[in-house]
This record gives sequence, C-alpha cells and structure tokens, in this order.
Amino acid sequence: MSWETVIGLEIHAQLSTKSKLFSGGSTQFGAESNTHVDLVDMGLPGVLPVANKEAFFKAVRFGLATGAEINQISSFDRKNYFYPDLPKGYQITQMTKPIVEKGSIKVITDDGEKIINITRAHLEEDAGKSIHDLFEGETGVDLNRAGTPLLEIVSEPEISNAKEAVAYFKAIRQLVTFLDICDGNMAQGSMRCDVNVSIKKSGDKELGTRAELKNINSFKFIEKAINYEIERQIRVIENGDSVIQETRLYDSEKNETRSMRSKEEANDYRYFPCPDLLPVVISDKELKEIKDNLPELPEEKEYRYISKIGLEKSEAKIISSSKTMANMFEEASSKTDDTKLVAKWLVGDVSALLNKDNIEIGESNLSPENFGKLIERITDSTISGKIAKSVLEEIWESGSDVDEIIESKGLVQIKDESLLEEIAKKIVDSNPDQVAAYKGGKDKLFGFFVGQVMKETQGKANPKSVNEILKKILS
Amino acid sequence: MDKKTVTTISYLSRLKIDGENEDKITKDLQNIIKFVDQLNDVNTSDVEPLTSPLEKTAKTRKDQVTAKNLKKELLKVAPSTNEDYFLVPRVVE
Repeated sequence: MSWETVIGLEIHAQLSTKSKLFSGGSTQFGAESNTHVDLVDMGLPGVLPVANKEAFFKAVRFGLATGAEINQISSFDRKNYFYPDLPKGYQITQMTKPIVEKGSIKVITDDGEKIINITRAHLEEDAGKSIHDLFEGETGVDLNRAGTPLLEIVSEPEISNAKEAVAYFKAIRQLVTFLDICDGNMAQGSMRCDVNVSIKKSGDKELGTRAELKNINSFKFIEKAINYEIERQIRVIENGDSVIQETRLYDSEKNETRSMRSKEEANDYRYFPCPDLLPVVISDKELKEIKDNLPELPEEKEYRYISKIGLEKSEAKIISSSKTMANMFEEASSKTDDTKLVAKWLVGDVSALLNKDNIEIGESNLSPENFGKLIERITDSTISGKIAKSVLEEIWESGSDVDEIIESKGLVQIKDESLLEEIAKKIVDSNPDQVAAYKGGKDKLFGFFVGQVMKETQGKANPKSVNEILKKILS
Repeated sequence: MDKKTVTTISYLSRLKIDGENEDKITKDLQNIIKFVDQLNDVNTSDVEPLTSPLEKTAKTRKDQVTAKNLKKELLKVAPSTNEDYFLVPRVVE
C-alpha cells in the first residue's frame, strides 16, 4: 500500500526586542540566571502586563512580507497549565485573534517551487527554563527567558515530506533574519519548532490522526524525526492498530520519538480572554510606516544583483541566501567599483571555507567590515590576490583586523618597480636554459618566470607589474 | 457537568476537593452553568465578541529595559532555592 504524508509546522521565533513582551525585563541571551526577571515575569500579585509595541511592529513586518492579513486590533487570551517554569500558571497568547492570518511563503526543493500557506502567526510569551540534570531529586528554574516575545508561525498541513519541511523552516528563517525580527540562532533556541505528522492512504481526502513532535531544534533533527515518525505510523497502521493523537518527544540520541503521556493529561488549556490586557491597536499610520520601511527581501536582492549589478544568477543566489552574506557583499561593494571581484571572493574563497567548516557565514570570524577592508586592500594594490587568500585564512582562524595582519606579517605588496626589475633580471640571468627555450617559441615558459618572481618576493609582487617587467626583459 | 468533569478540572487547576464535598460542588456548578446557559437564548449573530468591558485600547510601552536585577530579593521569597535557581520537586519527562 502506498501512503501520503501530511505535515504542518509550528515555528516559534523569538522576536529580537530588547525588552520582554509585557515587562521591562531584558531579553539578553546567556545572562546569569534569574537576573533578567521583572515582577511581571514572576507573576507576583498586583502587577499588570503592559505590551511592548515593538514586538507588534515586528509581527506586522512578518505579516506584510508573507502577504498576510494584518489584524490591526490584537487581543490576548490565557492558556492555562501548570509547569514550574511558567510562574503565572498561564501563558498569555493570541487564541481568538492572531495579529497575522493567511500568509504564504515560497519554498524551493529539488522537486521545484511550492507555495506553503501560513494559517496564522500570533504573539505569545515564552516560558522560563527548567534545569533537570544539575540537582539531585530537584529541578532548578531560571526565569530569564520568561516573558520573551515569541511569534508562533503556524503552517497549513500542506507539507508532503521531511525535506520539504526543512526547506520551509529554512525559508522562514531566512525571511525573519532579513526582516531583522529574529536572529535565527538555532543553537541559542531563538527558533524552535513542533511538527505535526500524519499519514493517509494515497488519494484519500480525509487527513489521518496526527502526532505532534516536540523538542526539535535543528534542521537535521527535523528531517530525522519526521522520517522516523512516518515509518512508525505506517508500521502501526499496517499492524492493524490506529495512530493515536498525542504529543511525542524526539530523542536525538536514540533517533526515535516517544509518547509524552504527562502532556496528554493536561491537554485542556481552558483558554479565556486575558482580563489584564486591553486590545492593542496598530494604527493605519503605523501600518503604513512599517510597509514603507520593509527591508529588501532575498528574492528582491537576487533580482537586483542580477539586473542592476550584473552578477550571474548562481552568484546572486548564493549572495542573497543569507542576511550576513548580503551584508558582506554590500559593505565590500561600497568600498570598490569592482563588484564582480567582491562576488567572486564570496562565491569562491569564502564559500569554500564555509563548506570546509560546514558553518554558516554568521558563525564565522569574518565580519562585513573586515571583508570590505580585505577587498579594499586588493583593489588599492596594497596586497595581491594571492596574499589576500592567506589573509582571509588568517581572519578565518583569528578574526583579526585585515590591516593588522598585513602589517604584522609584512605582507604589503612591493610597489618599488626598480626592485621588481632587479629581482626579475636576477631570475632571468640564473635560468639561461629556460630563456633560450622561451625565445625558441615555448611561450608557456613565461608563467615559469612569473612564478619564480612571485616565489622570490613571497607573493608580495603585483602580478600585473611582474608581467610587464618580464615581457620587457625577455623581448 | 458531571463528577468526572469536576475531578478533571480540579486536577487541572490543582484544587483539592474533599470527597464529601464533591457531590455538593458538582451540583453547584451544574446550577451555575444552567444559569449562565440562559445567555444562549439571546441571538448574538450580529454582535462582535467583547474582549473587555472597558471600551478602551491598551497603552503600550517603548522597547526599553527598565527592570533591575532583583535576583537576590526574588530568590528570597521563594520556598526553596539555591544561590542561582528556584528549586522545585524534580519534573521529569
């Protein structure tokens, strides 16, 4: 029997505001435990939440960029459950009226393009963190994260396989980082996702019973968890049993999903309107201002790079793939007229280093400013392209400043033409056989002389000058 | 609203109901719901759901950090802590 898979994703993106959704507590990551906790985050008696408007603006940006409907009047509901890292005993969320509804995003996989519809994106507050493995018989609670604004982005159940789910997640991540509403840092938990998976017989209209997979925080695990779950559900059904609707935890060490029965008991969240909060309104003026100031998105950048700057499609695609990469390109392009050279470096040497280390550009030691300076030093002839490669490698390791590397290692290009002439003459004089062969018609030997001069100068000669000088001497 | 629902809700709200009170509370809740159910007789098809009885909209905050570090004070009011965390009976998935 053949089966079809139906997948829907709920992505939680931490909005990059300075302060929390309903309090003046800091959202800074990695701070000492329980130092960024406001009285509101603690849920102490007598405090009232006050909404952080910036979080709403960021959510609206997402809505506009996905062609969604924006609900200019936002209201809030309480989702009730007990867990130690949720001090109030409820989470403030948007059940009845999400700020964003009915958007969509284009996803590209090996099978081509596909539009995935976004049911809704709503604002809610994050919970704190429970630390289970530090204490004997007890759980520690750090409330620094409690109250951090999240945008929960819910897709329609339209995703057909694990690869497509990963592509969708990547597209959302690319979008939120370009919009500057979330840093997209998966390792720090700035983006997390729950995956709803069900299977049905091929051609069936009705959806099968779904399982919700929790605790997935990397692209690799999304794919593995979904594939495991699909196989499990097929096995269950082919054994004559039926899939039950439940929450399952993905265990990346064992590569399996297992039932979280404890969650099932508490599955009734008893939503009701939050009496502490009045509706938050986005005015027409604010909406227009956000619309007018939407940043250029990946597709628009790609198009501009091809049509206005004249990059190849393949180059434009790589460069517009991430915000940091695009920043590198634009920063360096502002330092030189030779934008094609900038593109060549990013697509060539920089991408090669990224592939070698299997990291994204944002995780590397290379900053847009430093990269811009590197290109500037090539175009103003301070260093040769060859030296620039070793400088790039040095930055890759240490993150040091381009000029400092050039100075401390004495890499400045030899500009003294008479010195180059002297070296070139010496090379020619000490290789009479090659000179004779060259003059006898072996043109290819010219490269040998250039190579020798570059070797003698430790790569610090400008290849163009060397070419000219050698041509003069050998003619 | 039967006894089983009352048991479930009391568990979800972490409210302990004594066995002898269970019948009385179930009956009370049934009556309350019956009373409130009268609202279903009103035709509300043209009425926007009300999120708050105050016909006002929210004042909002600018995105600024205003909280002080209250770690010591906050940990002090909790029943069980160490120098860094609030401590609770072990929660395991």
